[in-house]
Amino acid sequence: MTSAVLQAINGVSLAALLFLLASGFTLSFGLMRVVNMAHGAYYLFGGYIGLTLAEKTGSFAVAIVGGGAAVVVIGFLIDRFLIRRTGENHLAQVLLTVGVAFVIGDVALALWGGDNLKVQAPAFLRGAVVLPGEIYYPMYRFVLIFFGVFVGALLWLLYHRTQLGAVVRAGVDDREQVNATGINVDRLFVMVSGLASFLAGMAGVVGGAFLTLYPGAEWEILVYALVVVIVGGLGSLEGAMIGALIVGLLDAYGRWLLPEFSYFVLFGPIALLMLFRPRGLFGREH
Amino acid sequence: MAQHDAARSFACGAAALLAATGLAFSGAALAQGGPIKIGLLAPVTGPLATPGKDMVEGWKLYWEKVGYTAGGRKVEVVVADTTCNPDQALTQARRLVHQEKVHFMVGPLCGHEGPAVAQVSKETGVPLVMDPAGADTVTKWERTPTVVRTAVSASQIGHPWGEYMYKELGLRNVTFIGQDYTWGHEVTLGAVRTFTALGGKVAKIIWNPIGTKDYGPTIAAIPADTDGVSAVVVGADRVRLFEAWFNFGMDKKKKIYGGYWLHQDVLPQMDERAVGLIGNSLNYAAGIQTPENVEFTTAFAKAYKRLPSWFGESAYAVGLWTKTAIDSIGGKVEDRDAFLKAMRSVSIKAPRGPLKLDAYDNPIQNVYISRIQKVKHPVLGEVMTNVPIKTFEGVSQFWNIPPEEFLKKGPYKR
Amino acid sequence: MDHARIVFGLVALAAALALPYYAGPFWTGLATQMLIFGLLALSVDLLLGHAGLFSLTHASFFAVSAYTVAILQVRYGVSTALAAPAGICAGTLLALVFGLAVRTRGVYFILITIAFGFVVWGVAHRWSSFTGGDNGVTNVPFPALGGLAVTSHTQYYYLVLAAVVACGLGYRVLIRSPFGLGLRGIKASESRMRSLGFRTGLHLYAAFVLSGALASFAGVLYVYYNKFVNPVAASFPISVEAALMAIIGGTGTIIGPFIGSGIVLGLRNWVSSFFELHLAVMGAVFIAAVLWAPDGLVGLAGRLRARMERAKEAGRP
Repeated sequence: MTSAVLQAINGVSLAALLFLLASGFTLSFGLMRVVNMAHGAYYLFGGYIGLTLAEKTGSFAVAIVGGGAAVVVIGFLIDRFLIRRTGENHLAQVLLTVGVAFVIGDVALALWGGDNLKVQAPAFLRGAVVLPGEIYYPMYRFVLIFFGVFVGALLWLLYHRTQLGAVVRAGVDDREQVNATGINVDRLFVMVSGLASFLAGMAGVVGGAFLTLYPGAEWEILVYALVVVIVGGLGSLEGAMIGALIVGLLDAYGRWLLPEFSYFVLFGPIALLMLFRPRGLFGREH
Repeated sequence: MAQHDAARSFACGAAALLAATGLAFSGAALAQGGPIKIGLLAPVTGPLATPGKDMVEGWKLYWEKVGYTAGGRKVEVVVADTTCNPDQALTQARRLVHQEKVHFMVGPLCGHEGPAVAQVSKETGVPLVMDPAGADTVTKWERTPTVVRTAVSASQIGHPWGEYMYKELGLRNVTFIGQDYTWGHEVTLGAVRTFTALGGKVAKIIWNPIGTKDYGPTIAAIPADTDGVSAVVVGADRVRLFEAWFNFGMDKKKKIYGGYWLHQDVLPQMDERAVGLIGNSLNYAAGIQTPENVEFTTAFAKAYKRLPSWFGESAYAVGLWTKTAIDSIGGKVEDRDAFLKAMRSVSIKAPRGPLKLDAYDNPIQNVYISRIQKVKHPVLGEVMTNVPIKTFEGVSQFWNIPPEEFLKKGPYKR
Repeated sequence: MDHARIVFGLVALAAALALPYYAGPFWTGLATQMLIFGLLALSVDLLLGHAGLFSLTHASFFAVSAYTVAILQVRYGVSTALAAPAGICAGTLLALVFGLAVRTRGVYFILITIAFGFVVWGVAHRWSSFTGGDNGVTNVPFPALGGLAVTSHTQYYYLVLAAVVACGLGYRVLIRSPFGLGLRGIKASESRMRSLGFRTGLHLYAAFVLSGALASFAGVLYVYYNKFVNPVAASFPISVEAALMAIIGGTGTIIGPFIGSGIVLGLRNWVSSFFELHLAVMGAVFIAAVLWAPDGLVGLAGRLRARMERAKEAGRP
């Protein structure tokens, strides 16, 4: 019984992290039709920058903002000088961004080495929180759930309650229309892609504090994020939320109940879902 | 026009290749009586780059100490990067044999690369000194005449661990956390075998694949009635299990012991909470106080500003071992049989203790149970390290079971 | 022009036949690998170059067939005559299932095939009681058929070469058949083909299964070469690299994937012997290929030739 509850909380806290990463991915696809396989590498790179900042300044908040900001810069350059040149050729985008991820991952390995490093969380987030029923749970991961909800709420407000969000939503539905209204689409793209990069870099710092950072982490996390996006539907913020919850819970329970087939538990149903609802739960025709 | 070009470019390419092979041949001719060439297969890049670095540096430290000479000849080392990928290990081993013309190979590190490299040794006859890949089967069920192992056989460290838990720690109902791959299976199940043979009960075995991101589900699955947890984890998982254990408040509820967990290379990433934990049952602990080990660790610390893990010691010891063997045959490594025979018959005093191969080409050696302590190191100042608290002397890969009986039972499989 | 191509092919074949004599065992081994991975890249290219579908799950068929052969031969002592066809069958069966992915197009097809690929990798990696986990299955013997047995890597090289040449010829017939023309029609405009009364979905499904069968065959050749198989064979990078090989060499051609495989494998072995950041170099090659040579080297050569011929024509009075 205790185990089942613990696994549920585990699943939800992993979902919170996955949401941070997947929301950026899904937004940049929704608006710009960009499939960015380097998103995992952004996560890792942001995490490493955050790690160094946390060591230098001792502040977790600086690490989060700095890790996110560093990825915004890199992401902007990659977007402007590489991805933009592929147009809407998804095949070229996938290959190009896989190449970018290889380069970033290898450079990160040269800079930070092959050890698994942990971003130092602030003192008040270390240790365990005692939940009703004598259940001990890591404070950090418990707070992470609320952080995920908080960021999710912010994004939702931004998306549904601001003018910028309205334009983005219009752009997701019909790009030509936005073009026609005379909005500076280029600037809009830069902003959304910057937001996506920031979320990925921030997720790296947040995730690096409990999953640790190490070479290869970029692909492990990317696969989870991809599945979240596939389940939720490309371009849908709500989809990313629901998808993250489904993937987080499937992962926790799958690994607990059917360890040998945990990957099957995670990807099997999703492959089936794709066959019958290829656009995911909330996806739209593009 | 096009045909002409194609024919010409082919002729050029063929000529270049012929020239290249010609060079290679003349190189081989010179090599007789020239330097001894040793190929070192290590994961210089990739997920296990850190232990790989320890391995390369431990190896270099030894050869620098003896001036890269053995048996009156110069020694040349070619390092090949396996990236911890068996395909790459296979290709690199073939490169060492066919292109570099090495006299013998040392390595690889990753368990699953072992069979791939042994394959090359088998098909070419070039000896392989396997170190530190530890798959049991290499020195038990699938032996290759040209392969000897100088490091350790996985279950060799598991057997004493099971006995220690029962007899010295007084545990009766243990949960085993094991890494889900061959090394993890063999260490864990070796401990399970000796532990249950004494009457201990297995509460649960939880297998995690290498690179398990989240140890929350593992912690949550530990049964409430267990009186101790044994951890066999590798790579990045070591830190994650450590963090999860304390963050879930398990330190207030249960005791955890490392069968294979808190090695020297991972300690810098841990903190005070590690002090006092029993971290390893292993053929090496950096805190061993023999003259050989003090000399080795001091030299290592001076050269690289850290203490060696068992990968570093193992590579250093294999340097000593191969040099002793080469010396004993007067440097004639071209005679592969003589070299292998020498490897099988010499005995050495390595930093980790006396070493000698058994009849199945696996070393008989000490196994140390060690505790994490803070010590004052003459070179490094205050450091955390593994200090031995119990020594099982002269442990065989078959433990106290007759080899024939052990072999009949077959490999440890989950 | 065609005449030149035949001569070039014969010269290349002669060079390949003579390779073990002038290049030595290391290069022969590497060449065997290049042929095998070239065949895998060719199978990916049947979808990519001719049907416009970008599959990232081809390592699955490759690995499933390799595992089937290895497990049958090593654990059950089944002979090559049965194990090799069984491997191709197993891979093809999987392709029959995964082929349902052709219900989707574009980016969704790419993503669903990634997910499929991870299912297979995950099962190979985690179901260790059957697949051997990370260690995989080792000690696969050389293939033997009745009294005929391969005993050396040189012999095996010739076997692979023969198999690859046969596959290449068969592939040529396939892509020039009405079926192949239909595929390229779909690639150009699926809606037009459909309005012409073509059952495009079925057509693509058949292409997917055929391509899976070819990848399975490459898997059989691979396992006998490597003598072992482990989850790396099913991993995502293998699928990505196969596609990269096809693209670097030139999609929609037969020789392109093999050229690409030669470049990728050669580069990896060469660069890794002196440069630690070889993954970054591979990444840079990806980027350069996408940006500057989207039609691959064969395409690049074609463009250059076309330009030269234009120049020649312009120079005529």
